[in-house]
Amino acid sequence: MEAIRLDQVCLWRRTQEEFSYDLKRTVLSFLEGKYKQPSKKQVIENLNLTITTGDKLGIIGSNGSGKSTLLKLICGVLEPTTGTVRVWGRVAPLIELGAGFDSELSVIDNIILYGVLLGYSKPYMQSRVQDILDFAELGDYGLAPQKSLSSGMTARLGFAIATDVHPDILILDEVLSVGDERFKNKCKQRLEAFWQANATVLVVSHDLEFIRDSCHQAIWLDRGRIRYSGSAAATVQAYLAAVHGGADMGLSTPGQ
Amino acid sequence: MKKKLVLPKTSWKAFQRYRELIQVLVNRNLSVRYRGSVLGIYWSLLSPLIMTGVYTAIFGAAFASYYDDSLVNYVLAAFTGLVVINFFSASTSQALMSVVGNGALLNKMQLPMSIFPVSIITANVFQFCAGPLALLMVMAGITSRSPVNVVAVILPFVALVLICMGVGFLVSGLFVFFRDLPYFYELITFALWISSPVFYPSEIVPDNVKPFLAFNPLTRIIESLRQIVLSGDFPDLGLVAAAWLSGIILLSVGWFCFRWWKPQFMDLL
Repeated sequence: MEAIRLDQVCLWRRTQEEFSYDLKRTVLSFLEGKYKQPSKKQVIENLNLTITTGDKLGIIGSNGSGKSTLLKLICGVLEPTTGTVRVWGRVAPLIELGAGFDSELSVIDNIILYGVLLGYSKPYMQSRVQDILDFAELGDYGLAPQKSLSSGMTARLGFAIATDVHPDILILDEVLSVGDERFKNKCKQRLEAFWQANATVLVVSHDLEFIRDSCHQAIWLDRGRIRYSGSAAATVQAYLAAVHGGADMGLSTPGQ
Repeated sequence: MKKKLVLPKTSWKAFQRYRELIQVLVNRNLSVRYRGSVLGIYWSLLSPLIMTGVYTAIFGAAFASYYDDSLVNYVLAAFTGLVVINFFSASTSQALMSVVGNGALLNKMQLPMSIFPVSIITANVFQFCAGPLALLMVMAGITSRSPVNVVAVILPFVALVLICMGVGFLVSGLFVFFRDLPYFYELITFALWISSPVFYPSEIVPDNVKPFLAFNPLTRIIESLRQIVLSGDFPDLGLVAAAWLSGIILLSVGWFCFRWWKPQFMDLL
């Protein structure tokens, strides 16, 4: 069964340099007749991708190749300019943990807030609070304000929430560097459980070894296009060959 | 373009989710605002009271003749005006920041963007109900001795909330594009504030300027509120209707613009 399907997805975004962010300047340029429409750049180009339920897919590529953008399209954060993105099931994003936390709120309130933002009901989150605190090893901090936690503790909490709720699709964007060694192992164990179960997992990582060992499939993104897609080992090999061979990283070289 | 199926499909479920999101965000707003503050929610009452005191001390004697030579009437008129203006400027300038302030969050998960301005305004409504609104109701009960007026205080307040929602949508959306908006918005709120007859009687405004004051939607709210709270007469439904009309128009404009701009937000957050 399909879990995620992208059909001919293109995405155009405003380029960063064109950000004007400024009312004064915009009005002035209008008056001087110099105003021009902000230019746009194509960041995802005609992408087709089908991921079946239970697949573990690694996504590799150089910086700025559109990896995180692709994840944002799948999460629904970005809408494709053309084409369709279809997702069956509940997505839990695990990107830069802790963005949803409010430093003034207590840890328990933050757990509920974060869970509701992720799409779970409030009563359900209330029933999960204890388990989440236990997993994050923050049992004594339930009523303490979030700001009293260290950054490592915050990351632990984010991981605990996003993985406690059982998502159908888990998205990991460079998050395995959470906390100390011992907690890292705990995270890996929990992720193992996802791996065993029927959850679909998408991983963005520069840790090619991890991708090769843990994922079945992998895609190599290059400037918004899929340059190679196949088994994880083959994709990593192709990517490494291109990097070490100093081959043109452009789009002219046929990958497949 | 086809919609994704990440969120609950039926509209009832979507509504439930929206309601729950607002609930947790309002909760966050209120508890963050009052953490460690002894005065708590009553701060929203204290600040217009202090301002009323200051205005009365300075302008009271000069303007009392327009209020049946009664300083008490001036105090009451200034207070009813001030709570309206205070609510407007506090809630809309907080709403202005709301979408950009949650940009990091919007980049991580799919959320209906309108929850941020709506939750800010809602938090302010709760705050208002606990303080100024209760006091206005007591005042209306004393002057009119009629439960109708006590309940009717809610009517102009609802219109005020509609106006703030509409303006909140407008400014929170514009702020995504123009990050220098707060400077201009401060000017606008000041102009609105000085052009509403809050601490001066509207009679002193020159006749050729008066038509411009009609553009200020808050004037109608203040007039209607004063009529209900201070006059002791049966609520003037004409004034209420005028207030509601400006509220509905502003909310529609704000909502329409927010919907129109929304697709461009994510490129700029």
